[in-house]
Amino acid sequence: MQRLDRLFESSARSLAQRTSRRSFIGVLGRILTGSLLVPLLPIDRIHRAEAASGPEGSPAAAQRVPAAAKGKSTTKAYTEDQQSCDYWKYCAIDGFLCSCCGGSSHTCPPGTQQSVVSWIGTCHNPADGRDYIVSYNDCCGKASCGNCDCYRNERERPLYRLSRNNDVNWCMANTGSDYHCTVSVILGSAGP
Amino acid sequence: MRSFQAWAALLAMMASGWAAASDPLPPDQFGMEPLPARTPHWIYVVDSAFMNETDSRVRLYDADTHGHLGQIDAGFFPGVTLSPDRNTMAVGTTYFARGGHGERTDVVEFTDMTTLALTGEIVLPAKRAQATPTYFNLGYSSDSHFLYAAYITPAASFGVLDPASRKVLGEIETAGCVLVIPWGPNHVSSICDSGRLLTVMVDAQGNEVSRALSNLFFDVDTDPLFVQGIPTDRGYTFLSFLGKVHEVDFSGPEPVIHAPWSLVSTAETGQWRPGGQQLGAIQRRMGRLYVAMHRGGEGTHKKGGTEIWVFDLGTHRRIARWPVPPLKLGAVTAVQVSQDEAPLLFLASDTPAAVATLDALTGRLRHVDTNLGQTPWLILNP
Repeated sequence: MQRLDRLFESSARSLAQRTSRRSFIGVLGRILTGSLLVPLLPIDRIHRAEAASGPEGSPAAAQRVPAAAKGKSTTKAYTEDQQSCDYWKYCAIDGFLCSCCGGSSHTCPPGTQQSVVSWIGTCHNPADGRDYIVSYNDCCGKASCGNCDCYRNERERPLYRLSRNNDVNWCMANTGSDYHCTVSVILGSAGP
Repeated sequence: MRSFQAWAALLAMMASGWAAASDPLPPDQFGMEPLPARTPHWIYVVDSAFMNETDSRVRLYDADTHGHLGQIDAGFFPGVTLSPDRNTMAVGTTYFARGGHGERTDVVEFTDMTTLALTGEIVLPAKRAQATPTYFNLGYSSDSHFLYAAYITPAASFGVLDPASRKVLGEIETAGCVLVIPWGPNHVSSICDSGRLLTVMVDAQGNEVSRALSNLFFDVDTDPLFVQGIPTDRGYTFLSFLGKVHEVDFSGPEPVIHAPWSLVSTAETGQWRPGGQQLGAIQRRMGRLYVAMHRGGEGTHKKGGTEIWVFDLGTHRRIARWPVPPLKLGAVTAVQVSQDEAPLLFLASDTPAAVATLDALTGRLRHVDTNLGQTPWLILNP
């Protein structure tokens, strides 16, 4: 728990540097919504803001549909196929899909360990038109699965914004910290 | 006719007789090949072995002879660095007692770069940052007195190590700031989520004596800074997602962050951008910056380059665009350049895995090698 305490201290400091008190209250409401499912994940509101307007002001940045799935929003791979990297929930994943390794899009393969820390993304579900906050959790304690290497990075950020980074081993805090594969777990709707 | 047959028979007998009379091959002397003296055209290719990550390696390659000279084992999510005299390679890594499971050991291993023999190790607390390779996962102070190892647990800090006595001296927390950029004998900077650099000064025993934050110089939300710095004569150059160039001078008493300039025109902004793992390299003698560029939008910052853009660092002008497809190479995920008078440019791809060697002055392809690992994400100069 000491590690989690330090993580939240770090996240809180970072959030305080970036947001006003009023906006913090708005964020808090959104965090609490998601936290009904996973109470200890460092979510911030930036994903939501970027999902709505694009983070960089460029025409390309305005896209809501992940690049890998652009033009495919009605395809089965994007909407239904959980073993496809194009599946909508995988919009910021970098690793092996657990759905190809004995697990599913949101469950780990048998005999692995669920990571106790994770990174966060916001993905758009074309089926209902909603954005969802998802937690990318690694499944740990066995060697690399090696199947369905999936590489998408929408709204992913460098290592200093850790809660949104997929370049680090998120099995790091587990007793079995070898990386096996990654799942995408819906925490809640990112919108009203 | 009879005469011809007789002559042919005689010649055949003579030939077989000579063969029988020649000496057999001598026994081989089983031994070990010595490592030749290094040249500026060697590279050390860090293969992160993404498909089986506990088995990363560093491969030595001679671009002049296309020779594979040797290997250093690098374990799981390694951080790799060279001592200032280039005679020692330090690899910070993790091993599990039973392959993919079992007790975790974080360790820094030292290799003599004249023999490739392991010479020692420092066992770390189980906190090492298990992240994709950059220059800043592990690094020496300029006088080799300290070695710094980035920690992420996920709380951020770094370890201060004594490479001479093979000991961990201590740990310094860097909440909100990650990685280690050593400069001078006693400073370490880290890159912060707030868009600043944190700089910690240590004393002769490796204890923190002061810390300072730089001014804000990049915006994480609108145009994040890549953490993969590019070495310069006086520090490092950092690129941003949208192609801004931030030059940081670490040669004075505190970091000096110069006003940024852009790799892309206004029309190209948001369309063309840098991407990959090791985004670019600088030939310091010529003052040229080589960057892997691709056409793409938000979320493509790790996509490899489909072109190499070459810039003059004095004028900030683009002086060449070299398309990658004619090289028969996949998108370029790592870029390095040699620092000699006849410089070579090295471009690595992971899909398919290959390392190309080009003339850094003209862009002319010299060779493509496909046996330098599966995910060559970082290339170091000797």
